[in-house]
Amino acid sequence: MRRLPFAMLVSMLLAGLLTGCQGKKPDPGDIAGYDEGEQYLSIWVHSIEDTDEGRCYRKSVEAFNEKYNGTYFADIEFIPRNDSGGGYSDKINASVMSGDLPDVLTVDGPNIAAYASNGIIQPLAELTEEEKGIYLESIIEQGTYQEKLYALGAMESSVGLYYNKDILKEAGVEIPDADHPWTYSKFLGVLEKVKPVVEKRKGYALDMTFPVGESTIYYYAPFFWANGGDLVDDSGLNVDRVFNAKENVETIGYFKKLLEKGYMSKVPVENLFESGRAAFKFDGAWEVNTVYNSYPELNLGVAPYVVGDQWDGGRYTPTGSWAYAASAKTENIKGATELVKWMSGVESGTMLWEEAKCFPSTYRAFESIDIFQKDENYRALYSQLSDYGHPRPKTPVYPQVSTSFQQVMENCVLTGEDPEKELDKAIEKINAKLKRYKKG
Amino acid sequence: MRKKSQSLLGMAFFGPALVLLTIFLFLPMILTLIFSFTDFFALNPSLTHFVGLDNFLQIFQDEEFRKAFINTVCFVIIIVPLQGLGSLGLALLINKVTHCKKYFKVAFFLPVVMSLAVVSTLWMQIYSPEGIINSILENLGISAQPFINSSSQALPSIAIMSAWQGVGYQMIIFLGGLQAINPALYEAADMDHATPWQKFKDITLPELKPLCIFVFITITIGAFRMLVQPMVMTGGGPSHSTYTMVYDIYETGTVNWEIGLASTMAIVFAIFVMILTVIQTIATRDKEGKDVDKKAEKK
Repeated sequence: MRRLPFAMLVSMLLAGLLTGCQGKKPDPGDIAGYDEGEQYLSIWVHSIEDTDEGRCYRKSVEAFNEKYNGTYFADIEFIPRNDSGGGYSDKINASVMSGDLPDVLTVDGPNIAAYASNGIIQPLAELTEEEKGIYLESIIEQGTYQEKLYALGAMESSVGLYYNKDILKEAGVEIPDADHPWTYSKFLGVLEKVKPVVEKRKGYALDMTFPVGESTIYYYAPFFWANGGDLVDDSGLNVDRVFNAKENVETIGYFKKLLEKGYMSKVPVENLFESGRAAFKFDGAWEVNTVYNSYPELNLGVAPYVVGDQWDGGRYTPTGSWAYAASAKTENIKGATELVKWMSGVESGTMLWEEAKCFPSTYRAFESIDIFQKDENYRALYSQLSDYGHPRPKTPVYPQVSTSFQQVMENCVLTGEDPEKELDKAIEKINAKLKRYKKG
Repeated sequence: MRKKSQSLLGMAFFGPALVLLTIFLFLPMILTLIFSFTDFFALNPSLTHFVGLDNFLQIFQDEEFRKAFINTVCFVIIIVPLQGLGSLGLALLINKVTHCKKYFKVAFFLPVVMSLAVVSTLWMQIYSPEGIINSILENLGISAQPFINSSSQALPSIAIMSAWQGVGYQMIIFLGGLQAINPALYEAADMDHATPWQKFKDITLPELKPLCIFVFITITIGAFRMLVQPMVMTGGGPSHSTYTMVYDIYETGTVNWEIGLASTMAIVFAIFVMILTVIQTIATRDKEGKDVDKKAEKK
């Protein structure tokens, strides 16, 4: 097979045009605050400046420049990202081609493996155990690919199993503690108990769907991990006999049971949980803030995520969010690592919580924020994150794994297809994408 | 001398547009064609190779692409008559209305100027299990319908919404056409005691024929490009029932980073739309030719 010098040259030229030909580093004095003797570090973030989140990034960079005045100067660029992930990633793709990547960039957690295996980001400079120790284990796990640390989380997130306290009280259901969650079979018993209560309210025991997009794998992969299954192996390059393991078939069977027994609706019902007609709901950590602000009459609680009957006590709950990484292009990995550490550190994380209600990525930030100690729901989410947080599959073909997972859930649970057949079909698709990484 | 200066002036006006068109249209088109024969991967472009026709074979074997293709064709089959005839019907009605003509024109044209994303979000509420349509159905004693949450109803539901959104544009075009028809033709028909249907069939339709070709071709091309509605309303689901070709191209290129494969899909898509448009044009042109011949014979 032949390489394509001409087409590549033209596309690089176009990519250069589209990325604004930013190849040239500014000289000291070109930008306010960038002085002689300072090392220049460019950083891209996936946000617009005029948002709570964007303002936090700006403030964090300014604080970095103040702290490292005379040594480093960080120059931040905001690149909007749309809901489907385009915009920011398009800019990165074009810059990979034109060679105009910044020194530091934000990467969505599940994409770290793809960026690392394609040489877009490089391992960070060595961090001491003490430096690493400030981050939640899930953050270090998420940022590590093939035993090298590539990224540190700007923020963390999780999914809660929310419940309506009034419904559970009426049904006479007690919530277990985080170390002894409901098992699959016990949870079925709980749902059976709450069913008559929610039926009186014209609702369902569970407010649950399998939407297209990232939510399905994010919310429901924990059911697979907590039942002894997995989606990819440790290398991230193999799914055979992993994605279609018998434990996964069993887990899908469990979800089918939830629908068959009428515990969930086949079609999504808007605000089912928020309107007090569902006993449980799986949703992102942001749901607590939404309920507190928009549905104050709802008596909200957070229960531990459900586990398989044979759960071994291992990590299994949802985690993962945007992280900072050093691009492969940076020649100043030490400086880039300092910037990554700063942007993901305690002060930046605390500010992100205060301004934008994003969960921080460090233990100290969580401990310094009052609400994570005083509010039982936030405390439960933090404890779930710190004790049982599990990153999403670390594989360079993550987008395909995520899409396939959603399709399997939708086709098997909602349409009634055979799980084994669907899992095998998904494996074929994932393997087709993995070919690229197995060549070498 | 004057000719030369005029030509330079022309170039000065035309030049910037040509440069921009070359950079943002022609070059990307050529690159798409070249990349369709490669395994170009956005995250690692340095490893790009020629793969011959592999991508073409791959996409035709790909179940998702086939499904997207079928969905797109189904969408076109539903929306073209719905929107085309709907716009013609609306134009005829408004043309007849004597009061509040402007109001009706604005009311039917309004959805056209609204963003598709906004319209899609609005219709998600209308189609929701507890939305207005299901409430009406419930009051009529008909059980609630899942609409966009059902794999069999999602595509027609999106087609109806899209037709509602776009119908105003074609309606205005038809209305312009109707108003341009010489009233003497209708007066002559009245004198011959022609029925309204005869007037429509023998005067209105033939007079509107060139516009019909334009309207049907633009609706067809627009329908093939459908992306926003499924992206906002269903994410291509349920069970890929609203996954379209353009959606597949987008997902392959930007989510899975497979630019080579996405380019191949884009080329296949473009060729298909071109063939269809040519067929449509030739078919209509032939009829026009025959009509002319018939008229000549009668004379």
